[in-house]
Amino acid sequence: MMLFLARRAATLGVTVLLASFLVFLIPYVTPGDPVRKIIRSRVAGEVIDDSVLQGLTAQLGLQDPLVVQYLRWLGRLAGGDMGLSYASRTPVVEQVVPALVVTLSLVVLTLGTAAAVSVVLGIVAALQEGRPADRVITTVTQAFIAMPEYWLAPLLVLVFALNLSLLPSAGWEGPASAVLPVTVLALRPISYFTSAVREGMLDALGAEHVVAARARGLSHFHTVRKHVIPNGLLPLTTLVAVWFAGLLGGSVIVEVVFAIPGMGRLLYDAVLNSDIPLAQGGVVVVVGLAVVLTTAADLIHGLLNPRIRGHHA
Amino acid sequence: MRDRPVFVRAATGILVLVVVAVAASPWIAPSSPAEQDLAARLLPPGSAHWLGTDHLGRDTLSRLLDGGRFSLVIASLATLLTGVIGTGIGVLSARRRGWLDEVLTRTNDVLLALPEMVVALFLVAVLGPGFLSLVLALTVTGWTPFARLARALAYDVSARGFVESARVLGCSTTFIVFRHILPHLAGPLLGQAALRFGQFLITVGALSYLGLGVQPPQSDWGSMLAAAQPYAARAPVGILAPGLVVFTVALCVTFLGQRLARMSSTRMVLNPASSGAVADA
Repeated sequence: MMLFLARRAATLGVTVLLASFLVFLIPYVTPGDPVRKIIRSRVAGEVIDDSVLQGLTAQLGLQDPLVVQYLRWLGRLAGGDMGLSYASRTPVVEQVVPALVVTLSLVVLTLGTAAAVSVVLGIVAALQEGRPADRVITTVTQAFIAMPEYWLAPLLVLVFALNLSLLPSAGWEGPASAVLPVTVLALRPISYFTSAVREGMLDALGAEHVVAARARGLSHFHTVRKHVIPNGLLPLTTLVAVWFAGLLGGSVIVEVVFAIPGMGRLLYDAVLNSDIPLAQGGVVVVVGLAVVLTTAADLIHGLLNPRIRGHHA
Repeated sequence: MRDRPVFVRAATGILVLVVVAVAASPWIAPSSPAEQDLAARLLPPGSAHWLGTDHLGRDTLSRLLDGGRFSLVIASLATLLTGVIGTGIGVLSARRRGWLDEVLTRTNDVLLALPEMVVALFLVAVLGPGFLSLVLALTVTGWTPFARLARALAYDVSARGFVESARVLGCSTTFIVFRHILPHLAGPLLGQAALRFGQFLITVGALSYLGLGVQPPQSDWGSMLAAAQPYAARAPVGILAPGLVVFTVALCVTFLGQRLARMSSTRMVLNPASSGAVADA
């Protein structure tokens, strides 16, 4: 177990460092003078003439080797300083934190909805294996995988916001504005979750202790509730953690269509405006969180299922 | 029921129809995809324009046929590239084992943790939008599922009797890989390729929808949808049609891929020598 933990921790550290180094390189690989770009992200003034530029280059250490600059940048990042946004001339942190809060609530709502729906659908499908209910649930949820969000979202807006005026078409204020985005975003996780719950339930239904419980004369309801469901839902835990990581950066389309001020929207705007410090800050936060969550998912998987620890080479 | 040949034939038929129609679009399209007719803006479907016209009076059906080329070519190219790279890396990991396997598997884990869309946004930001950045953005993270699957399967196949026999008989590693291992991987990997093609098609559309994919005057299904959205209330066909095509193609491909994966995995499961391949997939 210690080896397993150490390995995971090492992977996590390397990933975050690698990602942060790539992000640090953005000003150097995009067209234009990197020094000017970096100074623009660190100094509040708009116009900089050449004499000031030289002074600032020395002051900010931009003539130092790349590695030294990277370590300095990393140090500032660790202290929560991500520089100034080109577009708004305000600290990037002040934009990233509220956006992260919005996206986190969107993702939590989405995964909560998806898990609740999938548990019901998956249990029904497994208990009705091979019958019409199972076929309908399996076929329909599998079709969700092929649903493009950029199609479903405008269609739902057209029907529920423009034609029926039931729900707001955009924004992030109050529960009503969350209904459409959460619906669109939940379909793909529902597809994967339902299939995982169904498979897990079928495995558990065939397990020896379940057969034994039946043989002891326990009722069908009691067996399912006490012995099948707890084991059948195990695979879902890891899957939810993995999807949490995926949705943090995967909600771009939904946030853009519904004008939700979250991380996806922030990254999209940063790319459109070539706002390098904003893009750097956003990518570092999203990737860092995603890596931590994926590792957490692995750990949960390892804790709940001791068999994989050694063999997962 | 999902496995009835009727459904397989229907899915295959639809795919062939779409591919042929898109490939033949210069000859069969009712009008030029770029031809504007401002007097005939946002027309509903009718005899002159089967699927109506867009906000510049361009024929929606012609644009649909023309735009498919970009989406289908990028998705195919990305599938091919990621499939070849991923399979190569997976088989290499499984055959060499040791430190190389460790490094490749860890790299895979690292890339798997990066959100695909963020990587794509990042690369498009650095390289600028266009054909090559799109293919690259999809390939950088896209090979990982293939490598996982190929590694797990190659591990299992390598443990079987005929591989050991071939080795004892003095066959070279190259010969064993191409003659004995890869043929056993073909089924599941093709299934995976079909599934990935569907996802790539959706992602290409998503990036174009965001304006980061194909650039005007060219267009594809995603950018058509984005352009039609402001006029959705007046001309709903403009958003209905391109999305429906993406959904239908992705659905057919996914269905065929799942069937392929299931067919080949039953064979693996029935074989006592294979253990974790299916679970790892």
